[in-house]
Amino acid sequence: MKSWVRTEDTLAVLLGFGVLALSLPGIAGYDLLGWAASVKIWANPAEAISPASKGYAPLTGPGAVAATFAFLLAVLSAGMVFIGASPAKFAVRFAVLFALAFACWVGGHYVHVAATPDKYKSLGITWSLGLTNEAGYLFALLGGLVIANFVPAFAAWLKEAGRSELYIKAAIIIIGASLGAKAADESGKTQAILFRGLAAIVEAYLVYWAFVYLVARKFFGFSREWAAPLASGISICGVSAAITTGAAIRARPVVPVMVSSLVVVFSVVEMLILPPVARYLLADEPMVAAAWMGLAVKTDGAAISTGSLTAGLFFPGTEGVSAREAMVLTTTTVKVFIDLFIGVWAVILAVIWAKVIDRKPGATVPWRDIWERFPKFVFGYVLTFGVCFAIGLADPASIKPMKDGAEQADVFRRLFFVLTFFSIGLAANFRRLWAEGLGKLALVYVACLFGFVIWVGLGISWLFFHGVGPVPGKG
Amino acid sequence: MDAKPTDEETADALSRVEAEPLLPVEKQLIAGSLLLGAALLGVLLWVTATYFPAK
Repeated sequence: MKSWVRTEDTLAVLLGFGVLALSLPGIAGYDLLGWAASVKIWANPAEAISPASKGYAPLTGPGAVAATFAFLLAVLSAGMVFIGASPAKFAVRFAVLFALAFACWVGGHYVHVAATPDKYKSLGITWSLGLTNEAGYLFALLGGLVIANFVPAFAAWLKEAGRSELYIKAAIIIIGASLGAKAADESGKTQAILFRGLAAIVEAYLVYWAFVYLVARKFFGFSREWAAPLASGISICGVSAAITTGAAIRARPVVPVMVSSLVVVFSVVEMLILPPVARYLLADEPMVAAAWMGLAVKTDGAAISTGSLTAGLFFPGTEGVSAREAMVLTTTTVKVFIDLFIGVWAVILAVIWAKVIDRKPGATVPWRDIWERFPKFVFGYVLTFGVCFAIGLADPASIKPMKDGAEQADVFRRLFFVLTFFSIGLAANFRRLWAEGLGKLALVYVACLFGFVIWVGLGISWLFFHGVGPVPGKG
Repeated sequence: MDAKPTDEETADALSRVEAEPLLPVEKQLIAGSLLLGAALLGVLLWVTATYFPAK
């Protein structure tokens, strides 16, 4: 099998497809995923965890956790064999990572942390931080961050299992099915979101990249080899863009890899700051907020996780499920279009570098390198989204059963989110910012991201998404 | 994935970055990108408002 096939991208797609396949019998009423562990808001720790479906209640909470862990351990270890990693090395570390991430997730559901005011009476409490169920993800992120920054040797040991991109990409494939079904249910609004998302990223790409490249070259004195991956990393889609751009201009490996490590650190800062800022600044414009998260937060994992976090802040209750889905659809659409556009931009840069800038004898466009580094999981998302969307449009009666099936798979989407948040925190060692020689790199990143990219992203999101979709308290 | 460089390797690589003047093609890339962005903004906003109105 070709080497570019045996990657985390392919594995994520297979994982997502596998979970969705197990959820399909749910359409006919057979529940094959109901044993997976689900966490709810708790006052008594014994009541925090239960099987996702009532039909599996006899399994109990601890049994559901054990079954979930065993399932994930088995499929992910097999996945490690598929991508050529050591399953034994992964398995030991995954066991520890799963235990820690799951504990953080449960901690974030503590009643005085997560409960919203409308639940106070039924839960018998008078106060809570009101951080919603999404606090579990935040706790997982903070848990990873604490380990990365205070016990870095332990974080380094866990690194083999901290595969945030794998986990989030599997989650994105799973999300594709439920969003596709939802999109078919509201095809007019979905077409608007898709086009507006495409328009927003075309604008963002053209403005962000040129500006950041100019700043890096002109004001910070970076060479072309550093400035191009830096511009792609800061302005577009973090890790994927930096690595694909590095391949397109034939930069040395040190360049995109170093840029990527900065991307992860700053995406954590964005994850913590931007959702509450969006909730405050855009109280009546949740779709602007959702698009903003897609345009401003770098890397797939951080952006889509932050989109989900933000959706939870805008619509915390069970009655807000549909509105939350619309927000997640918007963030995901923006991010997937960005990923697709990376390929287009990389080809443009590759042609310019090969034909005009480098002009070495026999220089050609590195098509193969670009393809190998392109984030190919987006095809998996497009497939699950497209198939469910098409089926729903062709046969509206199928939408409800498809949503029910996707709901069963959603329990694994949440689990992959937890693993993603924890792994992102684990990879974000802020001490690296003070490492010798990295100051200038970090400075250009901070200046462009917080001085330009975030605010231009907000402006573009506003232009294309204001007045669209649900309003908190109204739908 | 390429092996992650050490901080020392990165610092060394960064310290050896030499100043390179902006080439005309880079200026064209920057200007072309920004101008295209400005021109497309109007077009895309018009298409959005006309064919994909907010509901």
